[in-house]
Amino acid sequence: MREHEDAFQQKGAKLVAIGLGDVGYARQFREDSKIDFPLLIDDKREAYKAMGLGSANLLHLFRKDNAAARKRAKAAGHRQVKLGKDPFQLGGSFVFAPGNKDLFVHVSETFGDNADPKQLLKAVQGSSPGASLPSVSA
Amino acid sequence: MADTYSSKLAGITLTDPDGKPVRLGSLWAAGPAVIVFLRHYG
Repeated sequence: MREHEDAFQQKGAKLVAIGLGDVGYARQFREDSKIDFPLLIDDKREAYKAMGLGSANLLHLFRKDNAAARKRAKAAGHRQVKLGKDPFQLGGSFVFAPGNKDLFVHVSETFGDNADPKQLLKAVQGSSPGASLPSVSA
Repeated sequence: MADTYSSKLAGITLTDPDGKPVRLGSLWAAGPAVIVFLRHYG
């Protein structure tokens, strides 16, 4: 996602990541990944629960879409360094606008089920005055 | 107002790795924000 930070900023959008884990873990991640955008800590899982982000299970490891996602991540040079506080926690991506408007919603259904950054950028572009909003996916 | 994802999140306050509190709703109060929930760090 960090590769797209500039594109989001050019469209006037902030990019913010939320993760589980403690302060030490988050600091280490920020240092290792060299991200410049804000990283927030949800060690009580308050925000994850509010968004309805669920958990996977061991069976997800054998899903075809998970294998494909792992292959894509490996090809892109990504590697998982640590399992984290909860290796089964699933993520999600959202684009929100003033007035608590949801411009884009993607709730991950399994490991590696991530929103395409192009979709996020499209949602941001649609937030400009006078633009028609893109459809919301779930 | 409809119960949007953003409205559910707006009142929650989290901290950054330096301990600074951030009310999530403030992130998109003035403009759009892309919020990514990580599955794990690293």
